This record gives sequence, structure tokens and C-alpha cells, in this order.
Amino acid sequence: MSVLAARGLTVEARRRGGAVPVLRGINFTVEPGQVLGLVEEAGAGAAVVGRAVAQRLPPGLAMVHGSLSFLGAELMAMPADEMRGLLGREIAFLPPSPLAALHPARTVGAQLEAHLRRLGVARRELRAKAVAALAGVGVAEAVLGRLPHHLSQEQCQLVLVAMAFAGAPKLVVAEEPTAALDAAAQGRVLAAIQALRRAQGAAMLLITRDLLLAGAICDELAVMTGGDIVEIGPAASVLRAPRHPYTSSLLLATPPMRGARPDLYLLPEPAAGERALAGVAGCRFAPRCPVRAEYCLRTEPPLEGDAHRSACIRPGLVPTIVAQGEVPPPPWRPVGEVPVLALEGVGKAVTTGPAWRRETVAAVHDISLRITPGEFVAVVGEEGCGASLLARLAAGLEQPAAGRIMLAGVDVSVDAASARQQHAATVQMVFDEAQAALTPWRRVSDIVTEALAVRQSRSRVRETRARQLLAEMGMPLALGVRLPGQLGEAQRRRVALARALCGEPKLLVADGLFDGLDAPAQADLLGLLLRLRHRLDFALLLVCRDLAVARHLCERVLVMHQGAIVEDGLADTVFGWPRHEATKALLAGSPR
Amino acid sequence: MMRFLRRYLWPRWVRSGRVLLGLLSVLAVLAIAVVAPVLAPHDPLAQDLSLTLRPIELRGVYPLGTDGLGRCVLSRLMFGARAAVLVALPAALGALLLGGGLGLAAGWLGGRVERAVGWLAAAWVAFPPVVLALLLVAGGSGVAMAAMLSAWPLFCRVLRAELQAVAGRGHVAAALMLGFPRGQVLWREVVPAVLPAALALLAWVAAGAVGLEAVLAFLDLGGAPDRLSWGRMLADGWEVVFLAPINLVAPGVVLFSVMAGLALLGDGLRGTMGLALPEARLADDAMAGDGP
Amino acid sequence: MIASLGWRLLVAVPVLLLATLVLFVVLRVLPADVAAMALAPGATEAEIAAMRVVLGLDGLLPVQYVIWLGQMLSGEWGLSAQMGVPVARLVGTALPATLELAALAGVVCGVLGFSGGLLLFALRREGGQREGRAALAETGTTLMMAVPALLWALLLVLVFALGWPVAPVGGRLAPGLAWPPGTGFLLLDALAAGDLAVFGSALGHLVLPAVALGLGFAPPVMRVLGAALAEAYRAPFIDQARLRGLSGAQVLWGQALPLAAVPALAALGRQFVLLLGGVAVVEAVCGYPGLGRLLVEAVRAADLPVLQVAGLAFAVVAVLAQAVVEGVCRGLAPRVRA
Ligand code: SF4
Repeated sequence: MSVLAARGLTVEARRRGGAVPVLRGINFTVEPGQVLGLVEEAGAGAAVVGRAVAQRLPPGLAMVHGSLSFLGAELMAMPADEMRGLLGREIAFLPPSPLAALHPARTVGAQLEAHLRRLGVARRELRAKAVAALAGVGVAEAVLGRLPHHLSQEQCQLVLVAMAFAGAPKLVVAEEPTAALDAAAQGRVLAAIQALRRAQGAAMLLITRDLLLAGAICDELAVMTGGDIVEIGPAASVLRAPRHPYTSSLLLATPPMRGARPDLYLLPEPAAGERALAGVAGCRFAPRCPVRAEYCLRTEPPLEGDAHRSACIRPGLVPTIVAQGEVPPPPWRPVGEVPVLALEGVGKAVTTGPAWRRETVAAVHDISLRITPGEFVAVVGEEGCGASLLARLAAGLEQPAAGRIMLAGVDVSVDAASARQQHAATVQMVFDEAQAALTPWRRVSDIVTEALAVRQSRSRVRETRARQLLAEMGMPLALGVRLPGQLGEAQRRRVALARALCGEPKLLVADGLFDGLDAPAQADLLGLLLRLRHRLDFALLLVCRDLAVARHLCERVLVMHQGAIVEDGLADTVFGWPRHEATKALLAGSPR
Repeated sequence: MMRFLRRYLWPRWVRSGRVLLGLLSVLAVLAIAVVAPVLAPHDPLAQDLSLTLRPIELRGVYPLGTDGLGRCVLSRLMFGARAAVLVALPAALGALLLGGGLGLAAGWLGGRVERAVGWLAAAWVAFPPVVLALLLVAGGSGVAMAAMLSAWPLFCRVLRAELQAVAGRGHVAAALMLGFPRGQVLWREVVPAVLPAALALLAWVAAGAVGLEAVLAFLDLGGAPDRLSWGRMLADGWEVVFLAPINLVAPGVVLFSVMAGLALLGDGLRGTMGLALPEARLADDAMAGDGP
Repeated sequence: MIASLGWRLLVAVPVLLLATLVLFVVLRVLPADVAAMALAPGATEAEIAAMRVVLGLDGLLPVQYVIWLGQMLSGEWGLSAQMGVPVARLVGTALPATLELAALAGVVCGVLGFSGGLLLFALRREGGQREGRAALAETGTTLMMAVPALLWALLLVLVFALGWPVAPVGGRLAPGLAWPPGTGFLLLDALAAGDLAVFGSALGHLVLPAVALGLGFAPPVMRVLGAALAEAYRAPFIDQARLRGLSGAQVLWGQALPLAAVPALAALGRQFVLLLGGVAVVEAVCGYPGLGRLLVEAVRAADLPVLQVAGLAFAVVAVLAQAVVEGVCRGLAPRVRA
């Protein structure tokens, strides 16, 4: 019997003005011991499947027909306490944000033991069982006495993995379990999950937007868009020979880890939300489909095929979807230019703990680094490796405790006031949280020209420049009068980028610019940066979690580990022939 | 700043019933306080010993009756608004300037300034506000001064906490990076963000000051025994509550409505902008850090 | 928690010292004629001049402060200018009365605050069609905040002491009952003596002022608890707990409330300090012979010796209460920021 089976599962969002379908009668099965990956770019529909398993649909959503059964038992009609009996024992969940998924004021040990207690472990054995469970995921016993925020995201997720598998579940539902993790941690956490899962014979439903990640650990893949499963089949087959244009374009929008660097495929943004799709008669992917034909709009294609099925009338044309060219090489520079940024033996420590127990830890130490004009440099490393602090030091937001920072040949670590002027002319930074990084009460056109406000330019000048910048960012001019709260996340990042580039800085520092974006939005932003590079000629220092993105954009890569730079070289060299353990761990965790 | 008000704050505020209701009641009290001499049917101090303790007669000579000395309750209520406004307005504005200034300076400059302000505020709130006000009145301060001096730490602590919540945001760092001088960054990026909180507190502190004025007048402290104040009326009405209850009920209801109007206004100004409760900010502040 | 409590109590010492400085400035520097305040009304010019010398008013301010602080610390508090009784005796009998009242009021405030907070949260969480009711409840707490303790006290005394006399007011004990010997904490003394009649009467006299104070100062606690619970429920760990199979009640009592109670406790600590101020007013309305009434009378009579000691007593109680609550809360709260 299937562990999990969905038959015609239909979920609707009840809104004012009628119901909007979120899941449109989807079918899939998860067999014992098998891993099914549900892949969708923004994850809206796939995440709902995960919530439906626990009867915890978001408010306003309701299942209207179809069935979802666990080992033959219908889940949606199950009484609440019977459901609770399953949760944590037979069905376990892994969350996307592990640190926030643990109670912030209880030690890890207390939480783990409370869960074991619920599973029926005798009080005397709690401690031993808890230690054993942690050992099963490779976490030291000492972690038991710690509070979650003293641990890394990786440790938190491993604790949650230990909890999930403590009850020997039949099914694990993992929603983006590695979204908050760096590449190395991702590899280790996935390895821990797979080892426990194989040992216990548990099945898993993996909900993710990363097609390659899903391909690396799933037996079967289901690709979703617009509330439908459009392609489902053995993982290897789906990745190697996709039969739906959507799958193919997602794959082509993902930068590869080795070989040439092709231009990324630009999938058009989904048209105006779920509502717009409600009345479409034919293929619902047609508005975004590169190979659509007139007759696609007439009848809805059924999900057809053998083991590998797809909902497309013209699967034969899928292999014709290809990227157009290659990423152009970096612009030619004369040798021997003054480096735009030079760090010499820079170090900084951070102080933590209450007044009666202060601790000082070196966050970065002895960093030496030169970035020549126009060079794109990526910094990669594990969580807490100091890369973000390095970015803030380079941007002048933090002062170094030791060493010197030179900007275009000028020492800026001596005098704070003049240093800031120097920084403003040379360096700009874009931050990871675009929402908080844009002044919420200022119009977009005012935000992007903030750099001119420093010099008190006239409003006419600013308007012209704003229009120029918006055009350069590929944004409609009409957005200029909006407030940041009225924009989408991808657009907010463009606005932040435009503001930073308004004064044409020589160096752009970016931290987490690509975090949390799905493949099409990421491809879009990558293409934009590559185009801007040739037009504006700036250097880039990019702190980045995704190694493939780092390689795609930057010719040079720095690997940081415990506050120091451990590897520095051409991206292809560093990733092709890693020398340091940290680099190897990062590469091992990147599914390519 | 005006554009910011017009484009960002105002559209959100006018949609809130709380804000409008509160604003209406505040404006009404202000108006009554200003035109009390014109509006009042009688001289609030004139005694009519032949007509004492009259009940409500809405069409009569004394619409809300008279007190034990035959003075017109309605007129006294109207003139009482003056006492309330004259205390609440300077007290709230003064506390905003003093406390808000110190709070912003502490939060923005950090380091030694922040520690010094922190200790000063802690020493100040060692005295419960009413006790401090009593001591100040004993020391010869006016009621408005006492209300202001006992309210400024509230502004100081809440606005400092608000500022710190804002200062960590990316748009502040971005403005610094663009080369704005620190003072300008404070003005452009931080002050507008804490402004709704400051205005909300202003309303709340004004409510507190109205209450404090009533309390001090009720206890007959810090002013003439025959001053025109709702608190005084409460005390007088208390003596005759069974003979002419209106003498207690009328000032009680007015006092409550004015304080409620101010509290609703403050709640609306804050709530519509999605800011945390000031008491929650203070609680968070109390739980963080190692200082006083 | 022990460490944070100890540290916070240590911090309270300099705070108190600074508070004495505030008191000194308010009572000894700001007033126009300090010497007259230290004497009974109607004192002659010569007596006032003599008092100036006794108070050292001609010396440098810092010197004056040090001398004054020495007197305060060593308990040389002198005689009340108004009543001619030792200040120590006045404050010694009034302080226990007020502490008893404040403690009981704090308990009422806490009970009201926590139950009100849970109610607020229950109304809010229903969501959907009940949204309107939650907004109404929230507005209700706002309106409740606008009722000062003075009005509550007047209302309660009017209804339950004068209109329908079920609770006594005036004094601490019904006339005719004998005071049990001991500490001055009437409830404790009565219990120690096993005198239930006295205990009941003393408690009865406390009920109205304590409830008035509790009602007047509970709303912020409700609101903080309601908001903290709502915030906790937005956090993923609640979701994760539900996904582990915990029931709604287990999640509320076992996961969300322990976290949300900490800021509510901190708010309660702050409200307790404000409530100490309210004591002054409510005692006057209810005729309860505590520190607050003593202070009010001293203000009215400009009785400097009583004023400074009573003020200091309030400060000591407030600072200690604040320190204990904050120390405990800091120990319980996860130090996410540090
Ligand atoms: S059916 Fe037509 S529109 Fe739909 S995916 Fe296939 S080719 Fe594209």
C-alpha cells in the first residue's frame, strides 16, 4: 500500500469574489521507502500539499474534493485527535527555518526529551535516548544543554531531524529543509536525513523549488505549476530528458556547476496570479511557454505517458528549448591598476554574553585581499565563516579593529568622517532584506536617486536620472511612483541595486542578493548584473550561498572558513580542484 | 516631511475609526477650552445660594444642575477643560521635547551618552510618577511642570527602543553609505519612522497629564482650593453624592471621555502604522541588556 | 536566572543612590524656602534662621547632599514638622500598611492582567468572522486604560461601601478589634496570632482599594500578554509543535504561554511601580492609613522631614520591585540579541 496517495486532490482559496483553485485535482503516490520531490518555482501549491498532510491548511484554504490518504486512511476526514496520534510518530515534518522552529527559551535537550516522552520513552531512559538520537545525526552531547540561538542553523536542523526520526516515522514531509543552510551544511543535513531514512525504511515527500537538489535525493519527481502537476516520473529521467517545457526552462534557468557558462533561460513571470488562470480553457502554461502553438489554447493537455508522464501536447519540441549564447567574458582591463579595494591584515572581534560573563570571539582575523577594478569576486563559506562581516567591513559599515582598509589607494581606516566620504564615492552595498532596505515611505523614483539627494540635485535632474535607472534595471517607468511596499520581492531587489548604482560606484558589495529567489528570478537578476557590468564597469564583492551562482557571475572566488580566507583563485580552479577541506565540504553539499 | 505626512501617514490614519474619534474628542475639548467664556451659560464661580444642588434640567437655567454652593455645573465643566488643556498640552509637549530628545540622542549616539541617559531615566523612574509629581508639587513646581517631569522618561525609553528597532534596518545603513551626514540620516530615515510612535505617546502622556491634574486637584494640592478643575469637581461632588449625584457623575464622565479619546487616538496613530505597543516596547526593553 | 537577578540587584544600588540625588534636588534645591518647610507653620524668623544653620543651607550643595544622605542612611530622620512625632514612627506604621495593600493590588493586577490577556488572545485567534470582536476587545482595553484608579476607587467605594455596604473602608481594621502585636503587617500578624476575626477584617479593608488599583493598572498587562501570545503564534516553533502532534491546549500552556508570560511579567513589574503611585490617591479615597496618605498630607502641610523619608521609602520599594522583576525576566527571556 502507498504511504501517501493523492487522488484528484483539489484545494481552493476562498476569496471575496469566488473561489480560486490552488491545487487542481493532483494525483501522486509515495511508496514505502521512496522519496518523492514536489518542485515548484514559488512553492505555493507544493507547500499546500505538505500542509494538507497535517490537516493544517493555511486560513482561507479548503479541500473541496479528492482524497489524500496515508496507508489507506483518509487524512482530510480524520478526527483531530486521531490525526495528532499520527503526527510526530507516523508522520514527521522538517521545517524550512530550523532555528525558528525550536522553542527559543528551552534547551535543545528539554525539547528533545519532551518529544521522546510523548513517544513513550520511560523517564529514566530519556537522557540516554536523547544522547543516542543526537549521536545518530552526528551532534555532540554538549548541545543538549544549549538554547537554540546558541547553535547554528545546521545544528538546529540536525536536532529536528533527530526528533523527526525518533518515532520511526513511515513518512517524512520535508519543506525546503535546507533553505536556511549553506552548501556544506546542506550536504551534511541531507546525508543525515538519507541515512536515517534508509535505516528506518521511511518514505519522504520533499517540497522544494530547487530542481537539482530534488534530483539529487529523490527517486521520483513531480514538477508543479499553476496548481497542476505538469510532469512526473523517475528523477533521473525527468532531469535528463524533461518532457514538459516548464521543467526544461527551469533547468535552463539554473546555472551549471561545471563546463561552459551558458546564458540562462529567462522564463517570463507568471501572469497576474491565480485568478487569471481560473478561466483559461487550454494549457495553463501556455502564456509562459516558449513552444506553444495555437491549438494549445483550446484543450487542456492531460497528464500522459508511461512511468514518466507530462501534461504537454508537444513534448517532442521540448529538446528544442535551449539557451541562446554564453556569458560574455569579463571586460579587458589594463594590468597594474590600483586595486579598488585592498585589505591588509584586517581583523575584528565580537563581544557576546551578559555583563558578568563577557566573551570575545575573533569574527574575522588577518584578512588580506585585493580587488582590481572591474573584477567580480564571490565569497563563499559556511554559516558564521565571517563573510558577511567582511562585506560590511569592505563597505565601511564596520570599523576594523586591526589592519588597514584601502579604497582606490586611500587608507580609510584612519579618519572616520573623511573615510565615509571616500566610501560613498567608491563603494556601495546592497543588503539581503530588500524590504527593510528600502525606506518604506519614499517613492521608488526618489529611492533610486538618493545618491543625488546627498548633493542636493534639483528634482528635475533626479526625475530624469530615475527614469534612466529604471530603464537600465528593466523596470517599467510606471513603478517610479509606487512605494516599496507595493512591489514584489524581485523588483525590490532591483530598486536596491539601482539605488546603489546611481552614483556609479567603483565597487559594489552585495550580501545575500540571491538568497531566497527561485530559479527564474535568480536567472533574471544574474543576467541583469552581467549586462550592467559591461555598461557601468564596476567591481563586485558578492557574499553568496549558492556556489553555482558564484561561479556563474564571478571569475574569482574566495573561500572563507572560521574568519579567515582559506582559498582564493579563479572560480573554475577553486571549484574544479579544491584544496581546503572547507571548499571540499561546500562542493560536496552542492547537488550538481 | 510634509510630503511624508500627506503621502504616507495621513492616508492610513484617516481610515482608522479610532484616530478620527480620538481626534474629534480632542479637538472638541480644545475648542471648548478656548471659547469657554462665550459658551458657558454662567460665571463658573458665581454662587447662587438659593438654588443649590439642583438636578439636571436640560431646558432650565442650570442645564446640568448646580453644586453645593449653587454654582453652574455645566459652566464649571467647560472652564475645567481649560485647566486640563493648560496642564496636558505643555506637559506632553515638554515631555516630548525633553524625553524624546534625550531618547533619540541616546539611541543614535550610543556609547557614553546612551549609558548616561539610561541611568538618569532609571533614577527618575525610581519614583512612581504620581509620587514624583507629589514631591515636585511639594517642592513648589506647578502641576504642568510636575506632569512633564514625571512623564519624560516614558518618551525617552520608548523612543529609544523604537529608534533602535529602526536603526538596524537596511535603509538607514544605505543612507549612511550614500554619504549623508549622520544628522541628516537621523532626520531623513529614522525620525519619520519613529514619528507615529512619538505622536501616539504624546496622546497617551496627555491623557496621563489630564488624569494627574484631576488627581492633584482632587487631593487639593498644587493650586488654589477653589480652582476650576474636574478633579476639584469630583471632590466636591463626592461630598454631596447622595443629594445631587450629577455633581460626581458629570466630571467623572467628562474626565473618562477625554482620557478615552486621547487613549484611542494614541492607539490608532500607533496601531495603523503597525508599531508595537509602547508597554510592550518597555517590557522588551526591561528584558534586554544588563543595565538599569 | 540567579546570575541575572543578582546582577540586576547590584545595579539597583547605584540607581537608588542616583534616586536620592533626584530627591535631594527636588526637595532641597528647587523649593524657595527649605527651612520654613522643615518647621511647623508659624515659625518665627529666628527659628527659620536657626533651621538654616541646622540644615547647613549655607554650605556648598555637594556638601549639603553628603550630609543629608548621611542622615537619610543612618536613620536620623528627625521629627515631623507638622505633628511633632518622630518621622521613623510615622513611616514605620504607614509603610507596612502600604506594602500590604500594594502586594494585594499587585496580585489582583496580575490575575486580571493574565486572564484578560488570555481572553484577548482567545478572541483574536478565532480570526475570520470574529475579527470584529477582537478589535472590539482591544478597544475595550484601551478604554479601560482611560479609567484612572481614582475613578475606579470612587466608583467601588460608592457602590460597595456606601450604596450597598459589603466592604468596609476607613482605617485598616474594624473599630473594637484589638491589634495583634508584631511587625505591623496586619495580615501576617493576625495569622501569626491565629486571630481570624482580625485577619478577615483587615482583608476586608484591603479589598476595595486593592481591586481599584488592580483594575486601574491591569490593562497594559493584558495587552502585552495578548500581543506577546499573538507574536509567539506567528513564530514557526508553534507550527512545528503542532506538527509534532501537540494539542492546541498543550501548545498554548506548554509552549506559547511560558514564552509570552515573560514580557507580561516585565509589564506587570512596571505596572506595580506605577501602582505604587496610584496608592497615594486610592488611600486618600478609601481612608486607608498608608504611606500614600502620609505623603499627601505631608505635601499639603509642606512637611519636609516626612516628605523626604516617605519619598525615599517609595523609591526603595519601587527600585527593589523593579530590580527583582527585571532580574527574573532577564533570566527567563532568551537572550537573542546578545
Ligand atoms: S501544451 Fe502547448 S503550451 Fe502547454 S506546455 Fe505543451 S507546448 Fe506549451
